[in-house]
Amino acid sequence: MLGHIASEALSGLDGSAVEVEADVVAAAPAFSIVGLPDAAVQESRERVRAAIVNSRFEFPSRRITVNLAPADLRKEGPSFDLPIALAFLLATGQVRDGCDGRGPLAAVGELGLDGSLRPVSGTLALAESLRRRGVRGLLLPAANAAEASLVEGLEVYPAATLAEAVAHLAAGGGVAAPPADLSALLGAVPALDADLSDIVGQDQVKRALEVAVAGAHNVLMSGPPGAGKTMLARRLPSIMPALTRAEAIEVTRIHSVAGLLPADVPLVTQRPFRAPHHTISSPGLVGGGGTPRPGEVSLGHLGVLFLDEFPEFRLSALEGLRQPLEDGEVTISRRLTSVTFPARIMLVAAMNPCPCGYLGDRGQECSCPAHRVRQYSSRLSGPLLDRIDLRLEVPRVPPRDRRDGGRGEASTVVRARVELARERQLKRLAGTGAYANAHMNARHLRRLCALDADATALLDRAYERLRLSARACDRVVRVAQTIADLEASPTIRSAHLAESLSYRTRSRHER
Amino acid sequence: MNARQRFGRAAEEAAAHHLTRTGWRLLGRNVRIGRGELDIVARRGPVLAFIEVKGRRTTTCGAPEDAVGPSKRRQVARLAELWLAARPWALRGVTDVRFDVIAVDAGANPIRVRHLPAAFTLDG
Repeated sequence: MLGHIASEALSGLDGSAVEVEADVVAAAPAFSIVGLPDAAVQESRERVRAAIVNSRFEFPSRRITVNLAPADLRKEGPSFDLPIALAFLLATGQVRDGCDGRGPLAAVGELGLDGSLRPVSGTLALAESLRRRGVRGLLLPAANAAEASLVEGLEVYPAATLAEAVAHLAAGGGVAAPPADLSALLGAVPALDADLSDIVGQDQVKRALEVAVAGAHNVLMSGPPGAGKTMLARRLPSIMPALTRAEAIEVTRIHSVAGLLPADVPLVTQRPFRAPHHTISSPGLVGGGGTPRPGEVSLGHLGVLFLDEFPEFRLSALEGLRQPLEDGEVTISRRLTSVTFPARIMLVAAMNPCPCGYLGDRGQECSCPAHRVRQYSSRLSGPLLDRIDLRLEVPRVPPRDRRDGGRGEASTVVRARVELARERQLKRLAGTGAYANAHMNARHLRRLCALDADATALLDRAYERLRLSARACDRVVRVAQTIADLEASPTIRSAHLAESLSYRTRSRHER
Repeated sequence: MNARQRFGRAAEEAAAHHLTRTGWRLLGRNVRIGRGELDIVARRGPVLAFIEVKGRRTTTCGAPEDAVGPSKRRQVARLAELWLAARPWALRGVTDVRFDVIAVDAGANPIRVRHLPAAFTLDG
């Protein structure tokens, strides 16, 4: 007897159809799974066997062959437990498919030995892919239901146990979970306890960071230890604009595939802030692995990737950042597959100007020999620095400021300005697929950014004098556009351009 | 026949007696296939079972059923396939095919016979 049910395999963020077939015949007893299963899928036999017996179904002593079609696609992970169990129960006539004529259901889920259903990762991407292929509905673990119901036009049938899933299948569905209320989910953003006004002084740096966040520009902060670089970076989430619907879905999709979505959170509502340690490997940073998984650049998509002690990172990891910083995505190629993850990050890097940290500091002498200073800064290659829009010096706070310096504005005030600037950008960028000025390519730039006459003249002069590369020139215009957006100016004026240029001049100690 | 063989025969005798008493029809005993041997092939209703008999005088070396190791299981499974291949009609009316173990505990008085249905499968 034959039984079959649809399921779905994930490769990166894309799903592909997998048909799970079970054949049960009277012959010497065996349970085999074919169709390029990996170890986790092979082990599925033991979970399925135990779950079926413990759910009070029969597990007859016959030859069971499970085929996962297409046979040339590698199948990974425990999400095929449920479809295998259902195909087996269909094949042995213990459940009848009640979907006749209404379009089939697909199933995913990991089984526990007691027949309970455990959540799987990547539900959102799976559900989206099923809907694109026109599958009517999805049987899945109850813990994944809220995430799957973010997808419109797909019926979602949550089940806590194998027995419940069987009941759904027999009924051809049953009661579908209600569609998710995106606005309510997006509205429930938890408050942050770190505020920009925690930091005394540093007004110029704060202004520059406001510009950076408004346009999602990359930033490099350089300064002596204790000046507040890390504190400033940690407060960036508090001034970042709220995620839009489309952005929240994109971020959730990646975090779900990486298995980072907490069980009770169906939607990521805050911009990611990723701060990996500097010993991270290159695949850890840009993504990789035998089955490609998203790296930190993708986990920080539409948020901040904060790299503290920037020159201490491995060279291979740093240079691996170049392509994602330019393209906003990472493509990982393997023998059988090639996977693309989005990676539109705002890179925030922090470093000391030299190994001891005090080069250029007014209070303390630098104790580094000249060659060590050169060695340190030379770890950052020209092409990498060229991709960083704003370079800031974060000096030590002068004693007077530290004692009674202004606390400056609260994060909410800054954030309001940033959000207005972002709205203007979104309006201008409508239809380009970009969400912020930093994501504009050269063509968008020429079409959408208007410089007035003075600004054009200034840019030409700067191009000559500062020997900017063409790419650097585009970056200056992008930042100037963000400054203009913050002032609600329809054109880029020379003052905007001048401020933008001031953010990319090399610091005193660089040659 | 030495003492060990005699003991094995006695265990099989006890197992066969137990099977017939519980409604099984014995299709074959000590079926030789090439170099190997299937202890008992039996049928009851829709169930066809290949039964390995394991006897023990004492339980100091563990329970008798634990003595059916992986290589023995593979051997029984392979012999069963050969037995079935030569007799396609044997599957008529059969829904379940099983590998059973009958443990004969000769140290107990009276002798204890336990039938372990579906003790193993081809995939372990």
